[in-house]
Amino acid sequence: MNHPLILIIEDEESLRRFLVPTLTGQGYQVLCAATATEGLALARSHNPDLVLLDLGLPDLDGMAVLHELRAWSRKPVVILSARNQEKDKVRALDLGADDYLAKPFGAAELLARLRVALRHTIPADMPRPVLTSGTLRVDLETREVAQAGVPVKLSALEYRLLEALARRNGKVATHAQLLAEVWGPGGEGNTHYLRIYMGMLRRKLEPDSARPCHLLTEPNVGYRLNLDRETPGPE
Amino acid sequence: MPAPYPGISMDTPADSRPVLVALGSEAHALRLIQAGFLLARERSAPWIAAFVDIGAASSAEDAEQVQVWLQEAQRLGARIQRVEAPTLAQGLSDLTRRNRAQALVLGRSRDRWPWARLGHATADELQRRGLDVEIVVLDDQRESAGTEARSIDFSAMVGALLVLAAATGLAWLVPREGSLALVLPVYLVGVTVIAHRWGPRLGVLASVLSVLLYNFLLETPRFQQAVTRWPNLLFFLLMLLAAQLMIGLLRRLREQAREVQRRELHTASLYLLGRALARCLTRDEVALTAAEHLRRVFKAQAWLLFPEGESWLVAPGPFLGAALPSPAELLTRLAHGERLGDPLEPLLVGEATCLPLPGTDRSEGVLRLLTETVHGLPPRSWELLKTFAVQIALALERLRWLEEARRAQVENETERMRSTLLGAIGHDLRTPLAAIHGAASSLLLPGDLPESTRRDLLAMIQEESERLAHLLGNLLDLTRLEGGAVQVQKEWQPLEEVVGSALGRLDASLIQVDLPERLALAPFDAALLEQVLINLLTNAQRHAPGRAVSLRAWSDPAWLHVEVADRGPGIPEAFRERIFDKFFRLPGAGEGGVGLGLAICKAIMQAHGGTILAQDRPGGGTAFRLALPMDGTAPVAPEGAA
Repeated sequence: MNHPLILIIEDEESLRRFLVPTLTGQGYQVLCAATATEGLALARSHNPDLVLLDLGLPDLDGMAVLHELRAWSRKPVVILSARNQEKDKVRALDLGADDYLAKPFGAAELLARLRVALRHTIPADMPRPVLTSGTLRVDLETREVAQAGVPVKLSALEYRLLEALARRNGKVATHAQLLAEVWGPGGEGNTHYLRIYMGMLRRKLEPDSARPCHLLTEPNVGYRLNLDRETPGPE
Repeated sequence: MPAPYPGISMDTPADSRPVLVALGSEAHALRLIQAGFLLARERSAPWIAAFVDIGAASSAEDAEQVQVWLQEAQRLGARIQRVEAPTLAQGLSDLTRRNRAQALVLGRSRDRWPWARLGHATADELQRRGLDVEIVVLDDQRESAGTEARSIDFSAMVGALLVLAAATGLAWLVPREGSLALVLPVYLVGVTVIAHRWGPRLGVLASVLSVLLYNFLLETPRFQQAVTRWPNLLFFLLMLLAAQLMIGLLRRLREQAREVQRRELHTASLYLLGRALARCLTRDEVALTAAEHLRRVFKAQAWLLFPEGESWLVAPGPFLGAALPSPAELLTRLAHGERLGDPLEPLLVGEATCLPLPGTDRSEGVLRLLTETVHGLPPRSWELLKTFAVQIALALERLRWLEEARRAQVENETERMRSTLLGAIGHDLRTPLAAIHGAASSLLLPGDLPESTRRDLLAMIQEESERLAHLLGNLLDLTRLEGGAVQVQKEWQPLEEVVGSALGRLDASLIQVDLPERLALAPFDAALLEQVLINLLTNAQRHAPGRAVSLRAWSDPAWLHVEVADRGPGIPEAFRERIFDKFFRLPGAGEGGVGLGLAICKAIMQAHGGTILAQDRPGGGTAFRLALPMDGTAPVAPEGAA
């Protein structure tokens, strides 16, 4: 998979004119669709490795396209959305999108997001996964967490929260997703639990909890564990 | 309802000759004017209001009053004439002849002596002159109402008899010799008491009775008729005369006292109404206040009617009584004096009384009164009612003008905003666009550019487009916030989190953060508050470059306080409010920023129910204080969490 195939479903031509050369220049193969119908057809025929999906399409709601895609494909989908549309972002993420990019975005941001999205989520049975974020080191097998070489003791809930974030491998997790994974069904609506535990986790793992560099907040959306290095995926 | 002026016959055939009304300075001239107007309208004839100046005894005050009456008559369509003549009769007969008047309306003053009422000197004089004119003498309406025609009922009769008996008993005790001089005052007092207590008719009766009593009971020899003796006859006459005089005096005194009381009452109720109306801020409040005062003063239920297209807007509260005619119809009827016999008096619509509420330039609506009695309000209270209507109309007009002034101000403000917006867009959008356009076109020119220049131009394109995106984002945010399109998603959360994400988007090296270890959760929209913090911190960095910015927070049970303070040049006192206005930039502020950041902060804080203000920072610089309300109940912390 040296040259991943990326499908761009975007109706604005000027954006496609920027995306296509940027991505091909970075060694990606690119397919373009201007409408939802065309995009879904291309997705079925070419089975791309990643879909860049604009939420505001002329013929079909982007959310519906995502739903359709997720009916048969687990391949990563990155949403392109306007600023200030946190609700749409959360809905898309909860519907199974992997990440989002808020317009306007620069080339560097785009490429970083694509790299993260193309990484695989770490399955629970993966052998010896160790994640690092700066001086933070999380061993998912031995459940050992160390900050700057010093082991940190976490409570069970704190560890589960950290693990849920870590398994996303740098991708954003919505509040609802984290609540469901850590607190189980019935945990929805207790967003403040999540916030309180996140605060405690930060106090233990961040050198300055007011300036987090590992556990990042996406306001009104969720959290993201900032990973500076790609974790080896399953061979 | 009976015709208010019984002196006027309403069925005379039409005649083109005018009706002449003779006016003096007296108070009931208004009734003469109304009577003249009505008579003229009834006969489809023109009418003339005339004043005969007989030279003597007309003070400046009187002359002024006459002028007022003449103007009032003119308003009602009368031609006005003034003549000078040696006597009233002379002047009037001249006027009648000259104008070939068909009817002459005269008043009778109540200042005259009672016996004068039996005839009318001027009218008689005119009659003698053999004029071909119908003479209408109008009695003073108020006086006839003032006598109140007390019926002599049984208890009054008994009371009067008892008083007379007491007087007789007292007179009995008087020694016989020189009796008349002592007995007379006793009876006089008795008769006066009766007249005062039970009215003049019984008073006259009592005076006759007392003479008889005296003659039959007290005069020697007793129980003999002795009226024939001349001193007794004299006594009888004196008694009658004194009683009459006394009764007349008493009646006038009582009337005056009642009038004074009535005026005082009117003044007080008008004062109260005026004061209450002055406090009203809305039309409904005016209606409510007016209804309350009218109910108290007139014992009537009142509504204000405001025309609204084809129907009426009624205030206050539930509307009672018959349906109303359409606004066009009722307002025309009120405006054209098509009223129950009188253009100045209220119009009876169904069972309710309607009065116009005349404003300066247009009608403010209609006052509708529903009295408890069937016959509506007594005519004597109409004067006060009309004054009430004028007051209410003034209050409504004041509100309307206030509203218009406010609207004009808002329009002005909007206009000013629009021009500022256009100006800002003109400058702030065009400048980066021009730079981008220029840089891109030079990159596209044939021929090779040095690599460093190429990179400079490209960097410029990127920077300028970022600036454009920032400006547009701000504009959109503000529009959405002000238009109410942004829904504040309040969630209880730690401030620390938002501070963290805001710092993550800035060059945060010079920002000193001071948050208490255990800061309480507060309800706010994280994305919006993040924007407030970013805007404030960017502002601080822009105005105090290279110097530390402090961010502090603390909470009390009701509020979460956040402070962003810099060591910049500070904000002059005069601008501390205005810096939150859209497109406002401090004089002398450099490039960068369009004056939207703080306006957005304010809009966001207001959407949260919070506040933002700028203060001097001790030691120099500016401190922006945010306060977020701790609305509702804080969620329960999970078990085991510290």
